[in-house]
Amino acid sequence: MNIDILHQPDSAIAHITMSAGEELVAEAGSMIAMSSYINASTALRQGKSGSILGGLKRMVAGESLFLSIFRSPTHGGEVFLAPKLMGDLLVYQMTPVGLVVQATSYLASEANVDVNIGFQGFSSFFSGESIFWLDIRGSGQVILTSFGAIYEISVDGEYIVDTGHIVAFEKSLSFNITKVGSSLIGAFLGGEGLACRFQGKGKLFCQTHNANAFGKVVGSQLPAK
Amino acid sequence: MKYDIRYKPAFAAIFVTLNPGESITAEAGAMTSMDAQLSIQTKFSGGLVPALLKKFLGGESLFVNTFTNRTQQPLTLVLTQSTIGDIGRIDLSQGDICLQPGAFVAHSAGVKMGLQWAGIKSWLAGEGLFKLKLTGSGRVFFGCYGGITKKQIQGNFIVDSGHLVAYEPKLKMSIGLAGGLVGSVTSGEGLVNRLSGTGDIYLQSRSIDGLVRYLRSQVR
Repeated sequence: MNIDILHQPDSAIAHITMSAGEELVAEAGSMIAMSSYINASTALRQGKSGSILGGLKRMVAGESLFLSIFRSPTHGGEVFLAPKLMGDLLVYQMTPVGLVVQATSYLASEANVDVNIGFQGFSSFFSGESIFWLDIRGSGQVILTSFGAIYEISVDGEYIVDTGHIVAFEKSLSFNITKVGSSLIGAFLGGEGLACRFQGKGKLFCQTHNANAFGKVVGSQLPAK
Repeated sequence: MKYDIRYKPAFAAIFVTLNPGESITAEAGAMTSMDAQLSIQTKFSGGLVPALLKKFLGGESLFVNTFTNRTQQPLTLVLTQSTIGDIGRIDLSQGDICLQPGAFVAHSAGVKMGLQWAGIKSWLAGEGLFKLKLTGSGRVFFGCYGGITKKQIQGNFIVDSGHLVAYEPKLKMSIGLAGGLVGSVTSGEGLVNRLSGTGDIYLQSRSIDGLVRYLRSQVR
């Protein structure tokens, strides 16, 4: 499977070319165009045990309950995928370490990549953001999406990220939720609220912007539904 | 202090490296990620009373955060604005600068942020009773929705109210109609800023007001 990302960083789109028999799993609704002979099917995402419960958990995690599966019967089948909002895409090659992805940042993956709803890291009472993580293992490529550009940080030691700006991180990193700075009052008054403090050694992917923050700027000026 | 503004113009973000002893002050909520050893101090921007005025009359946050490197090695920090768009930089050695409400992102040490009376006319035009004025020495980072165009004006120049992000305080501003009363209303230009004098202005290529007006018409 060959994945090309075009029009980075503001209007990124993934151009995927598949070999015979290869399968691509993608977030429902993300397909923009494809070869006419690709077999597309919709599946209820199943949990580890293959139950529908796993699928329901995904829905809770801010993702669609359904996934699209694209299968190319011959060599050279093409699929174009893109997220709904403006932003960047990143192709990550899985390693044995595993990857934790913020649920809304998942776009697509190869068939041998296992995507499970990991755990709810936390639901921040103060910021109103609840963050769900996907626990991703296996081998192959994963496509991640962001609002804003994606930048990579090679963490070695300690690093802090605002909770709204995390895209994904390697499982060799551990994290805890902390206040930014030394005083709790300062953390909330200063608008930074809670942040993730990462520890260890591994790659961390952040997004420059935050869809919720931009949504608030615009949404606060729109009439109520 | 070293800095690099990356992902211009759509998703501009400031990648800052602070050497030992250096600091930078940023708008509340501007920090995206940073090295864990940086010290943070939250303060009222410019003191309690000016901060309150700024919040309620100038459209800025009540608080700012100062990030200081108290270690012996360089530390990094990424800052951004909540709006997507470009971020510009102004060196105050060229003179003071006034920012429109909401445009402030960060300033280096040595810069003072204050308020200046803008006048009733400015308020009527939706620009706020006060304007944010940055003085002193150092650098100021400001953000906008869309791209930034810098323009040096001499004499008179007319700017649409929603598109002016920053300007030098020595410029005189008066609010007026773009043309005659009927013409201004029908052309959709409405109220404009009439600037006079010699100095630099910074324009944003799009405005959040424009986006909001469009979306509002689409909401049902």
